[in-house]
Amino acid sequence: MRKTRWPGTLIAGSALLLVFTAIAIAAPAFGNPLHQNLLSGLTPSGLPLGLSWAHPLGTDALGRSELARLAYGIRTSMIVAVVSNVTSIAVGAAVGLAAGFFRGPVEAVLMRITDVGLALPYTLAALVIAGLMTAGLTRVIVIITALFWAYPARLVYGEVLRLRHRGFVESAEAMGASGTSIVARHLAPHMFPLLVTYSPLNAASAVVFEATLSYLGAGINPPTASLGNMISDGQSALSYAPHLLLVPAVAILLITMSFLLLGEGLKARNPDLKRVSWLGR
Amino acid sequence: MARTLIRRIAFGVIAILGVAVLAFLLEFVVPGDPARAIAPRAQSAAVLENIRIQLHLNRPLIVQFADYFGELFRGNLGTSYVQRQSVTSLIMPRLATTGWLALAGVVAEVIIGGALGVLSTLYARVRAVVAAVNLTLLSLPQFVVGLVLLLIFGFRLHLAPVTGGAGPAEIVLPALTLGLVGAPWYAQIVADQMADSLASPYVRTAVAKGLPDRYILWRHVLRNVLSPAITMIGMDLGAYLSGVVTVEVVFGWPGIGLLAVDSLQNLDRPVVMGTVIVGAVAVVAFNLIADVLRMYVDPRTREEPA
Repeated sequence: MRKTRWPGTLIAGSALLLVFTAIAIAAPAFGNPLHQNLLSGLTPSGLPLGLSWAHPLGTDALGRSELARLAYGIRTSMIVAVVSNVTSIAVGAAVGLAAGFFRGPVEAVLMRITDVGLALPYTLAALVIAGLMTAGLTRVIVIITALFWAYPARLVYGEVLRLRHRGFVESAEAMGASGTSIVARHLAPHMFPLLVTYSPLNAASAVVFEATLSYLGAGINPPTASLGNMISDGQSALSYAPHLLLVPAVAILLITMSFLLLGEGLKARNPDLKRVSWLGR
Repeated sequence: MARTLIRRIAFGVIAILGVAVLAFLLEFVVPGDPARAIAPRAQSAAVLENIRIQLHLNRPLIVQFADYFGELFRGNLGTSYVQRQSVTSLIMPRLATTGWLALAGVVAEVIIGGALGVLSTLYARVRAVVAAVNLTLLSLPQFVVGLVLLLIFGFRLHLAPVTGGAGPAEIVLPALTLGLVGAPWYAQIVADQMADSLASPYVRTAVAKGLPDRYILWRHVLRNVLSPAITMIGMDLGAYLSGVVTVEVVFGWPGIGLLAVDSLQNLDRPVVMGTVIVGAVAVVAFNLIADVLRMYVDPRTREEPA
């Protein structure tokens, strides 16, 4: 048997993700993200502190520890990445399976809805949905699910069409298996490699989108820390406290990059899944 | 080919209508009273009620729906609640402003992405560097790239304006932002297509005939990049025209995205609807134009899709 090769990208991505998961779990160890230290957390003229031993990543405009906020921001990103990834792919897979297997009017309706989902102006649609809900994790997850299900639906639909007339599906039909049982027992398991390969790319998009939403004030609002709203907070201090932009920016970069590395690594292990691409910006 | 086109146009129209209906219904669920947004300091309920009657907000949802879509089919997007002028006259200049940015952004991403793709194919030594650059750019949200550019070129080097506006000096950084964020996609397409072409029999034949390398590169290899690149450019132009909201917010570029954000905050429903519909039309239309162009330059894509 050929020895399994583990691509470097896969190892690097997984290792980075482990680190970020650890930070997300241990976030409280990095300090209180809400404590405003107005006396020693700001310069005498009331500006944010730069990097120092007492405040390793400096403080923000309210004298809060940037390190503590960063840890909680990473926690937010990781939760959004995992949860909205599962929800959007689950919805997309259900739609794609149903449309691909049942064909006829079900297929027509579901795939036209999917077209609508793909034609939506993303950011605008997100802002409209954001107006319906109160700020917080739930809002971000609902928005991402509502916008991110359409692409996996397309992927799964295409895959089902490819497998629809294979022997194992037709044999099951000939044996009298019901439609739902064919979908659940015979088709769904075949979607697994496709979706596992797609999910890190989807998670990367989710991290980017969460940051964007929170930056625009349509995701998670302060005082809850999110990498996006930290940047939004620091934006007015861009000229004299650039660390308020750069610290969360590097965190977003590394989290997204580790998901992308993981995705590339998985793709390298399944060359026939090369066509799975990344949707978000 | 004609059948494919008609099918695509029909699906496109359905998708646009779907987006419009969805946006219309969603806006009615958004909490907040447009009358209150128009007259925030109105004391009497009668004043607010008057505004509602003027805007037909007192009618049942189904009547408003029929009114709106009736007008929409006549090409009328309605009147802004806040600005008291037609939505079309508000959107058109903004659309032009966003159009310039979209165009400049696409030019930037084609140049940057194309260069990255060609470099990594022709020079094995820079391949790892290009891959790292691509991965980094793919991992960054647009607004982060925009703010970092603003920090470096605006606040540190004083080479670019930091105050916002729409002019030849102001377009550089937002266009560069779109270019950098979009570049890895083009780099990927260029590298993939070039690798395919270089391994193909027709390039081997060209080499065997003794054609000069440069001629083969331009005439046989890069030509094949055109077809997928056109699809990508169409997708991007459509997506950017539907509002590069974050880039416009970061740089204060007064385009359609910024208009949409303002209108959402003012509960100016007709304008929000207008921007969403124009955005969906842009997405669908440019994808379609790209497909037609692609069929024109690449005969292989003229077959019915499977």
